Amino acid sequence: MLPRDCSRRLMAELQGALDACAERQLQLEQSLRVCRRLLQAWEPTETRASEPPPGPETNEEDPSPACAPSPQDLKELEFLTQALEKAVRVRRSITMAGETDKAPSLKSRSTVAPPGAIAFAPPQTPGQAGGHASDTRPTKGSCQTTVPPKGHSERQLLSLGDKTRVRTGARAPRPGPGLRDQQMAPSAAPKAPKAFTLKEKGHLLRLPAAFRKMASQNASLWAQLSSMQTSDSTDATAAKTQFLQNMQTASGGPQPRLSAQEVEAETGRLWKACTLLRLRMREELSAAPMDWMQEYRCLLTLEGLQAMVGQCLHRLQELRAAVAEQPPRPCPMGRPPRASPSCGGGADPAWSPQLLVYSSAQELQTLAALRLRVAMLDQQIHLEKVLMTELLPVVRATQLQGPPWLTLCRAAHSLLCEGGARILTVLRDDPVD
Amino acid sequence: MGRRRRPVDPAAGARAGALPEAIAALSQSLPSGPSPEIFRRAKFDRPEATPALWQLLFRVLAPLPLDNRLASLAPEVQARLVKSALRSQGYPRLALAQLPEDGSQGSRELLLALSWLLARGPVLEQMLAQTRVPLGDEMTVCQCEALASPGPPAPQVRAEDPVDVRHVQWLMGKLRFRWRQLVSSQQEQCTLLSKIHLYTSGCHGDHSLGHLSVAEAEMLRDPEGGQQVRWELPRNLDLAYPKGLHFSWTPGMGPRTFWKDLYQACCWVTGGSLGSWWDSACSLLSPLRALLRTLECENRRLEAVLAWRRTELVFWRWMDTVLDTCVLGVPAAASQGTFLPQIPECSGGVLELVAWELRALQEELQEAAEHRRAAWEAKAGGCGRGPEWSAVRRASREAVEKELGALRRCWEQDRDPAQPHVPHRLVRREDGAAGDRDLRAAEVIRTLRSQEACLEAVLHQLQGQCRQELARLAGALPGLIWIPPPGR
Repeated sequence: MLPRDCSRRLMAELQGALDACAERQLQLEQSLRVCRRLLQAWEPTETRASEPPPGPETNEEDPSPACAPSPQDLKELEFLTQALEKAVRVRRSITMAGETDKAPSLKSRSTVAPPGAIAFAPPQTPGQAGGHASDTRPTKGSCQTTVPPKGHSERQLLSLGDKTRVRTGARAPRPGPGLRDQQMAPSAAPKAPKAFTLKEKGHLLRLPAAFRKMASQNASLWAQLSSMQTSDSTDATAAKTQFLQNMQTASGGPQPRLSAQEVEAETGRLWKACTLLRLRMREELSAAPMDWMQEYRCLLTLEGLQAMVGQCLHRLQELRAAVAEQPPRPCPMGRPPRASPSCGGGADPAWSPQLLVYSSAQELQTLAALRLRVAMLDQQIHLEKVLMTELLPVVRATQLQGPPWLTLCRAAHSLLCEGGARILTVLRDDPVD
Repeated sequence: MGRRRRPVDPAAGARAGALPEAIAALSQSLPSGPSPEIFRRAKFDRPEATPALWQLLFRVLAPLPLDNRLASLAPEVQARLVKSALRSQGYPRLALAQLPEDGSQGSRELLLALSWLLARGPVLEQMLAQTRVPLGDEMTVCQCEALASPGPPAPQVRAEDPVDVRHVQWLMGKLRFRWRQLVSSQQEQCTLLSKIHLYTSGCHGDHSLGHLSVAEAEMLRDPEGGQQVRWELPRNLDLAYPKGLHFSWTPGMGPRTFWKDLYQACCWVTGGSLGSWWDSACSLLSPLRALLRTLECENRRLEAVLAWRRTELVFWRWMDTVLDTCVLGVPAAASQGTFLPQIPECSGGVLELVAWELRALQEELQEAAEHRRAAWEAKAGGCGRGPEWSAVRRASREAVEKELGALRRCWEQDRDPAQPHVPHRLVRREDGAAGDRDLRAAEVIRTLRSQEACLEAVLHQLQGQCRQELARLAGALPGLIWIPPPGR
């Protein structure tokens, strides 16, 4: 058993690491849910007046029972559909007169130019000849989907009985059900929504106009802000520096010592220095010198690196002294500084969102995998250090010779040297027998 | 205020109307900023301006997320935190530390503190950047904060009993399993994301982007957001939730859910207590409208910041006058009052770690350099010391010095052009063309690979040290054979 305070610290650290991973996993899973749903068939959305459509995987919003509509409902629907068919016939006779030239195009698979109010360019109806259908994405202004679909064909009726999707079937009692596989009568105003997948129709989507306007305004304002940042007015900068100086002199306090933030920044820089120096050392040591010149340069580089490390250590001592004499209380509101050697850090001068361009799914995967790996290595190194500081003293201290110490030793070896992945074996080597 | 651009006019400072304009711009650009009247009152040290200024300073200094824990602190505690934060940043005036925390006086001092913060860095822009509504799929290059422990451990009742080391082993195994899960989830998400980008290519209005992001696609799919908002939304921002609005959107690729992030954005932008606002918003507005409203807010704040930048000169001149009116009778640096107790000594620990690393590095370098020097001397000892030789040596020395100087500049520079912590919007382009300020995935991959190599080296070195130490300890015991596990 490990001593009490050691246990507490270890538990805290490990639990913290586990929680962080769990949280990250949760975020990823939520993101995955959204993405998966986007890639499945999109249910046609109803207007705000009607029920919001449930997602494909959740049925709890479904008010109607998830079974076939009652025969009475079917009969009512039949009456309704007959009435609508009549309306279609009447309309067709009217529109046929005016749009005979459109008829052939409607028979073909061409897309029709979207009416202004519809934010969605009408897609193709695969496998449907002789008709066009379009999806109406209700924008803020359009209320077109409240109007029942003007055209129904017999196939539509049949599809009522065909329960391919339970949910839409359950919405049957309502007039103008959002049905799939429907055919529109040749009418200029497409009405009935249908489902589609992002794969088929993704390139036809259009963002709502209001949103586009806001977003472009937003982007241009950010761009203005960054350009203003870079070309900062010298008057203002001078005024600010003057003010800061005045503040300093007017404070009447002692000479400015290093603030906690500065110490932190300096420590970060030294961290970075350590990493870079180590990397450079590795490069030098692994390079095989070809001739005397290169060997000499390698030697000089190594000695130069050694000198630089010495300087860094010296600076560290100074920082330590500064910290000791006036302990800068770390701000309880600040994040606990994770001294990660891999971070570049530094202030970011540009504010407008910049792009990260990738060219293939493979590249994105590699990028994300590496990013995660770096973060995991970071965490692992931190844990390794914690384990070292906690376990090694315990192993040194408890010099019991029996099995408990051996267990401890084996466990310590596994955790510290193999990252918990493998365990070594201990054999007793008795000289007798 | 219109969007007409006024040229930067040096004579503007002389105009009497410029100061109210500047102060108005400042107050509009701060989140739930105080009215301009507060600023004026503070100049004359009026007590009624004090609470608003304490609150404002708290908002400015508190790190995100402004979770329930921080937001619900009593004003006195907030004031104490503000004092402590300012002190840790090196605020020079001692008068601030001596202000009473009940908000009864000291508004002028607080105004000076606010101006000090504004003068030192681009505070307004930083705050805006932190609460920016992410319309795209954002990703930071450096993920160091993603797996960091979520803040100081909550003072839960942890088992104070001593644990067995095997329990530690078990937890470690659990952690490794979670890592594997993360890797596979991440891979899946990348595939899906890249598909979504591919399928929607060509339909974004902004041609530099070219395709929709997950957020935009989700908005099209479900503009009413019926499901999302009502059933999946957390009602309060727990500690379990993300560490920063900034980082909460960025760690994954793609928002966790579009509407959840919107909820958080609305939280921060409106700055009020959210539950009631959101409920009423839900009943009145569709989430799409709420998003548009938030964007509008952000645009207005952006405009205010731009206006501020144009007119801030006169503000600084005014602040100089405020400073002059302060009495200079500041007492000597006596006791600073009590700050919050039981603060874990963070920065001391980090310094120790760095020291440890540097010392280890120094030992390695020493050994390597001595070895090489000995070898060199042995080889080159026989060489003559002719003039050509010394010229060659000098040239080599200069070249090495130049290289090492460049290396030193790498870490001494404050600004890192790579900006690893800024979130970038992911954009898929077949040709991979990118502007000057954009990052290319190939470069980032290269950087990450070198980081990975470096970290792996560090880890192996640590593990090697442990191995040696344990071998030493175990070797003291005779009669045992230690069989290492089979190599990887």
